[in-house]
Amino acid sequence: MDLHLDHISHNYDGTAVLSDIHLDIPKGQIVCIIGPSGCGKSTLLRFIGGLEKPTEGQVLQVGNPPEDSLNPLTYIFQDFALLPWRTVSGNVSLVLEDHGIKGNAADAIIKDVLARTKLSDFADALPKQLSGGMKQRVAIARALAVRPACLLMDEPLSALDSQTRELLMDDLVDLWVRENYTAVYVTHNLNEAVRLGHKVVVLSRRPGKIREIVEIDIPLQDRQAHEHLLSEKQAHLWELMREEAMAADQELAHV
Amino acid sequence: MSDNSLTRSETTATQPVPYRGGGFSPKRARWVAPVVFVILITIWEGGARLGWISPIILPAPSEALNALIDLYNSGDLIRHLSASLQRLVGGWFFGTLLGVAFGVAAGLFTLARAGIVPLVAAIFPIPKIALLPLFIIWFGIGEESKIATILFGTFFPTVIAVYGGVDNVDRGLIRMGQSFNLSWWSIVRKIILPGALPAMLSGFRISASIAIILLVAAEMIGAEYGIGAYILLAGNLMAMDQLVAGVTILSLMGLTVSWIIGRLEKILLRWRV
Amino acid sequence: MKRFNMNLFTRRFVLGAAAGAATLMGVVGASAAADKVTIGALRFTSHSPSFIAVEKGYFKEEGLDVELKFFQAAQPIAVAIASGDIDFGVTALSGGFYNLADKGALKVIGGLMSEKKGAPGNTIIVSNKAYDEGVKTPADLKGRSWAMTQQGSSFHYMAGLISEANGFTVKDMQLKPLQKVGAMIGALKSGQVDGMAIVPHIASALARGGAVKVIGKIQDMTDYQVTTIFTSTKNTEERKDVVQRFLKAYSRGIADYLAVMQDQEKDPAATEAMVDLIHKYVYTDRPREKAAPSIKAGAVYLNEGAALDVKDVERQLKWFQSQKLAPASLTVDKMVDASFVETLK
Repeated sequence: MDLHLDHISHNYDGTAVLSDIHLDIPKGQIVCIIGPSGCGKSTLLRFIGGLEKPTEGQVLQVGNPPEDSLNPLTYIFQDFALLPWRTVSGNVSLVLEDHGIKGNAADAIIKDVLARTKLSDFADALPKQLSGGMKQRVAIARALAVRPACLLMDEPLSALDSQTRELLMDDLVDLWVRENYTAVYVTHNLNEAVRLGHKVVVLSRRPGKIREIVEIDIPLQDRQAHEHLLSEKQAHLWELMREEAMAADQELAHV
Repeated sequence: MSDNSLTRSETTATQPVPYRGGGFSPKRARWVAPVVFVILITIWEGGARLGWISPIILPAPSEALNALIDLYNSGDLIRHLSASLQRLVGGWFFGTLLGVAFGVAAGLFTLARAGIVPLVAAIFPIPKIALLPLFIIWFGIGEESKIATILFGTFFPTVIAVYGGVDNVDRGLIRMGQSFNLSWWSIVRKIILPGALPAMLSGFRISASIAIILLVAAEMIGAEYGIGAYILLAGNLMAMDQLVAGVTILSLMGLTVSWIIGRLEKILLRWRV
Repeated sequence: MKRFNMNLFTRRFVLGAAAGAATLMGVVGASAAADKVTIGALRFTSHSPSFIAVEKGYFKEEGLDVELKFFQAAQPIAVAIASGDIDFGVTALSGGFYNLADKGALKVIGGLMSEKKGAPGNTIIVSNKAYDEGVKTPADLKGRSWAMTQQGSSFHYMAGLISEANGFTVKDMQLKPLQKVGAMIGALKSGQVDGMAIVPHIASALARGGAVKVIGKIQDMTDYQVTTIFTSTKNTEERKDVVQRFLKAYSRGIADYLAVMQDQEKDPAATEAMVDLIHKYVYTDRPREKAAPSIKAGAVYLNEGAALDVKDVERQLKWFQSQKLAPASLTVDKMVDASFVETLK
């Protein structure tokens, strides 16, 4: 299943937030969206997952999601969004219960996704006992449990310290290498974008327009070996972003 | 003086920085409460024995204790307690049940919120004692009017607590639920209600205290037995020892309720940071 | 008796704890040499002798500088006398009074309202529903519910009088404490309780409106010293002379009241003048035309010379003690100082 963003524009209380976004998200690719703060990148992600409706244009599913996918468009949130009163396995089982998956069937899925996210030993822990990185791995496990066709990640690593972020990025890469998932990854961190994105979409300041789409054709697993190529890409992205970021900063001061 | 300090700061170049932290974090000290309690009772008893406190003003604690023992020996304590507890539990239970229902409705639905919130704000501050004559006409002088008084008293604070609790549930969690295609009912049951539970429990703490406060008012009307009726009778008879004994029972009921809710919070809100 | 000299704070505590009664002050007369005396009064017709003695200057003639303090209920008067705030009061003998008397603070010094055959007196009324079910005499009240203000009140005692006069005990009635006379009447009218006793003018007004049925009078069953005049023990010991003069002036008020109100037809002009006088204090919120019938109908019998039926007072005390509503240690001698007035029988 591919996703197609068809000329999306959005106004919020008369203020234009997004303008004419036209984009393809092909199966098996990670598409990173970067842009200065307030450019509407998180709003765009909410459109893609159907949590909000744009004023103009639409998000189209091209082709059917795989038969076994319980929740084709699945989010991973910046603040993890774990239920603090449920254990790790309880948080995963939450998203299965409504699909009628209970008992042994649920246990099998939970066991599998926790193993895939290296959380098997923490099945009975409460969120308050976990570090930030582990919490986000629980959120990823929960997302994997519903076998998504496309993961929608909203700055998933922003709430974490830089060491944890490195480790988790490696995890996401490993996972992609094994499972080839499709993802839209919103971030303001250029390093994350060049490490994870097959495509990096640069949005302009508000109202957000697509300024450039940068393709990075180095395989994800090899990227750390091509340090200088990545830094070039990152420098290029920074050039694109810099003006926008500065202008956005000025703009905010005017408000 | 200033000269002196000046020379000292010049000659002694190294000194520890002045400590400015500390305070503002009271610790638990289990022994304080009993000690304060014992000292107060001792002063009170001593004052009564030495004649500083007239028996008309305040009976000695020992007299109140005797009244309590008499009450127990006569077998009336159990009758009073069971009558009051039935009213308390009945009134509180139904008041809370309705309060949670209305509070959740006000927290979830636009129409319900617009209808319930101003109504609650308007009726909550009315002293339920003032409505007693009305309750007599509506519910008679039997158990119904007593239970209704407590029910009304506990309903409104519960609505406010629950509605506030539902309002304060992390919207991010609700969005998460929606993004995983959870049904509306699942979101309410698995996300909103547990999320509002801390606010609900502290609401219960308040409503239970209000129920105990209203017990005396509820038992003003046609109650033969009940702790409130016992206190009222003691007041009518100017029997201050019985009055203090009755009030002590109420206070013990309050402590018990507070303890029970404290335990519940420990068990149900284990997950809280 | 120094211990009743409380400071302001404790007085307030006692008053507030007792009933939170609101008091209104009416200062009457002021001569330099006169003894200052405060009377606690209720705005009831049965308190008329106080008003008459004030208005006609009987207290002044006895060298008493009287101040009337108005209360909402009788019990706070007893508390205020015990605490030394006021000097004289009139009250029905109730559980609260006995408990205060047991602490040595109060003494009954005279009698006032009495149940006497033929005079207006407390009337027994029942709801229409109970009447239809066959409650037609006081004896039928056995097993029935009975409205009263509180346990240990005179309404409670009257239930005791009725039951004993008719061969059962008060335990055979379901007593319903409703705190206020208004609530009692409301409960009776709506048939939630079966019976109650009430002063004659209220009873007749209710019966006339068809809301209730009159089935008898307390006076048909027994003599009953309904209200008594009382003061602090300190006054009976240290101001004997003031107490005597007070009772003398008060008795003149009683005599005037009886002379006019017990036979209201005899001298209509005097009756109207008396009603005018009483209306200054009672039913002041109603116009005179509306107040007059109630004042006239409420002309209960008062003991001449404030004579006291000590035997009945003792009987009442015994009953309250048997119901555990009065302390067992209290005796008539401790509670009554009968040296100031005549005693009946």
